[in-house]
Amino acid sequence: MAVKVAFMQLSSCWGCHQSLVNAHLGLLDVLPALEIVYWPAVVDFKHDSLVARENGEIVVGFIEGMIRTKQDLENTKLIREKSQLIIAFGSCSCYGNVPGLANQWSINEIQSRKFMEVESATTKRIPDQHVPGFEDKVVNVDDIIKVDAYISGCPPRTEQIVGAVLFLLGQKAFPMNDIAFCEDCALKDSGCLLDKNILCYGPVTSIGCSLKCTSSGDPCVGCMGPAKNVFNKASKLLEMTRSLYTISSGEKKNLYEFMCLFLNAPLMAGFDLSGDILKQVKKRGKPESPLANMPSTTTEIATNLLSFLSNHPEFHETSNVCDTCPRIIGSKSTMTKVKRDFESLPNQEDCLIEQGYICAGPITKAGCGGLCIKVNSPCTGCYGQTEWVTDQAARFYETIKKGFNVDISKEDFLAQVKDPTGTFNKFTLASNRGFNRGEL
Amino acid sequence: MVKEIEVEPVTRLEGHGGLRIVIGDDGKVKDAQFNITSTRFFEKFCEGRYCEHVPRITPRICGICPIPHHLTPTKAVEDAWGVTIPKPAYKLRQLLQNAKQYSSHALHFYALAAPDFLLGPFANPALRNVVHVINQMPDVGAMALKMMDFGQKLCAEIGGKSVHPISAIVGGMKKPMDEDARQKFLKQVGENVEWTKKTVDIGLKVVEDYWDVVANVGVVPTYYLGLTNNGVHDIYDGDIRIVSPDGKKFDYKPQNYLEALGEHIPGHSYATHMYYKPAGYPDGIYRANTLAMINCADKMATPLADEALKAMRAKVGTDVIHHTFAYHWARLIELVESIEVVATLLGDSDICNPDCKTLDVQPREGDGVGITEAPRGLLLYHIWSDADGICKKLNLLVATNHNIAGIEKTLMHVAKQVVEDKALEGIKLPDPWIK
Repeated sequence: MAVKVAFMQLSSCWGCHQSLVNAHLGLLDVLPALEIVYWPAVVDFKHDSLVARENGEIVVGFIEGMIRTKQDLENTKLIREKSQLIIAFGSCSCYGNVPGLANQWSINEIQSRKFMEVESATTKRIPDQHVPGFEDKVVNVDDIIKVDAYISGCPPRTEQIVGAVLFLLGQKAFPMNDIAFCEDCALKDSGCLLDKNILCYGPVTSIGCSLKCTSSGDPCVGCMGPAKNVFNKASKLLEMTRSLYTISSGEKKNLYEFMCLFLNAPLMAGFDLSGDILKQVKKRGKPESPLANMPSTTTEIATNLLSFLSNHPEFHETSNVCDTCPRIIGSKSTMTKVKRDFESLPNQEDCLIEQGYICAGPITKAGCGGLCIKVNSPCTGCYGQTEWVTDQAARFYETIKKGFNVDISKEDFLAQVKDPTGTFNKFTLASNRGFNRGEL
Repeated sequence: MVKEIEVEPVTRLEGHGGLRIVIGDDGKVKDAQFNITSTRFFEKFCEGRYCEHVPRITPRICGICPIPHHLTPTKAVEDAWGVTIPKPAYKLRQLLQNAKQYSSHALHFYALAAPDFLLGPFANPALRNVVHVINQMPDVGAMALKMMDFGQKLCAEIGGKSVHPISAIVGGMKKPMDEDARQKFLKQVGENVEWTKKTVDIGLKVVEDYWDVVANVGVVPTYYLGLTNNGVHDIYDGDIRIVSPDGKKFDYKPQNYLEALGEHIPGHSYATHMYYKPAGYPDGIYRANTLAMINCADKMATPLADEALKAMRAKVGTDVIHHTFAYHWARLIELVESIEVVATLLGDSDICNPDCKTLDVQPREGDGVGITEAPRGLLLYHIWSDADGICKKLNLLVATNHNIAGIEKTLMHVAKQVVEDKALEGIKLPDPWIK
């Protein structure tokens, strides 16, 4: 039976919807599972029809966009009332996104610029008839209502959205490759991490990545999703997950990533997954993998791990964009001054930070697949930060000073960044998780 | 009794708005409003940002057409700083812009517009959407999805991401196209040209079926705003062109836009009403987007599209065309041009040339203007830079915004036709293709 879902669109660009539509032929698998009862971008149901629905009638309500107008605020409450689960869909509803930068000014200053001072305007007035009026600041959705799960990203990747929808509906995940990671692994013949009793998810994960993790001695965390056929080492992994009582801090992080990335879980990498994934586990009654059509060993491993997770809700470690970036850290380059993005042209091998550019990778949650970096452009942090309520400019400096070729003092570094707010809080200034919430 | 008809929200539309039509005691239409109910103030919060970061922020104005919102501010900064980009970068940007045009026009035709025509205007609202079209016409649906997919994948290849691209930088592009990728996309061009031709056939059949509607409903004389390159249709580079209701053409350099384009701020919409300044408001209200582009162009840039333009003019008229429903036809002509341009540029190995970024980029104090044609209309960025290259001020004239006043004028016209003249009563409608 099709599941009732609704898409609420607050002030936004609709790019999250375009990212979903980008599944294109993949939509044909998803659409029959959904009964879409509200989605202004695509279907013709009007506002009244949503108001007329019973409370809790909709199974999943997706909220896209941020609260800028009073109408956005009302619509946020409305969709919460009508839905059993609310998913904040995209970085606008997670953190306020770039329009949150407007919180640096008062609403009067902002309106003035657009309606009173703009060069091309020939009349000057603030519209006030049949328009909803603005909130003083961009308000974060989770300041107003309870959010059950977050899918960040600007926009979230197509695979991530489809994965989230399928996860919620208990359907199969994205198509899998035939062969497992281990087939190509540098440690296949000697030095296998599983032999050292380190949790490595290579035997059940698809090939297709740059093999960076195991090449540098770190375990595979399942970025590429499940493989159709498991590698023979899967039995060792299974045995380990059966008798899992405690795991080290580093392994927690890997397990966490595995559950997000590998299972295409709603939150993907990062974000307070433990709480949210456990909510899903509870909702389903028993901890079992949401994926169908997986090799039975993979299903059993995933189920064991979910079981373990349900007993250990304390995880709070997340991975960052650098963890999935193919560039060399500790390269031949060293940052000695802060370069602007338009200066020279970086090479495509070395870490952008070591080449002098500000790349928000080390302080930004993984999940995007490093798309910006692949076209030689630095990360600007659209998936949100790995740690909150802290001075991100200072944290960025401390982080790169520790792990990267950086030869510049903190004072010089901070002085050379002329727009710290726009550089380090571009997507999160309005968030209650963010530093100072825009009250700079 | 005064009657108010309210449509909230307008669906299958990019943006947030409602319609309001007021009918008086005497049965006359008193007012027709298009209320745009949200705006996010990009022109304010880009202040204080690095100029070169503005093109990484502004794509969030529109997730359906983020590519023009990435390229246009980049051009504006280049104008302000006096930067000239290498030829391969110019070609890459043209390709990126046309790949977006292709996927966006396919999306608009099939997902936003077609449900109205294929199901008919009186169909069950629960079914009048692209999902139902895909279910009922799976072959056409799959073809539509594959067209959009090609365009979006090409955008992602060059832009890094199809939604909110990042690869353009002041001075050029951050990366040339990989030769392997060029070959891969080149192989897919042929089938896309065929799908485009099929789409045109479907479109023309719809026009024929609905000819009574096209020829009689919403024929509203206005000014038109478009972009042409020496009079030739172009969506990446050129001058502003205005066409008057009686077909006179006026060209303006982008930097002189304030002589031509004015914003009247209405009380009932956060989107302003644009008009042609020399004609005043409301007489100078213009429309933008596909039909406007067709009215502005002396000719199309590519052979098949130019044939298609001639065919349209032979049927609808050689002068300026005011038929609102002809927007769909005009969109198909642009769709044809976009795939032809994509084919030509993919065939040019210069897009893989590593010389795609000039090193000669220096911030300087001053202002600059960039324009492109986005899928919904002309897009203009006017940026003021300080000596360090920090954005001091930004003015935006956004594609959809150019149409708001024109839409409202058309709404009034159609409301009168429907309510006062009962124009729909005798109108000929075809049997729906899909029930």
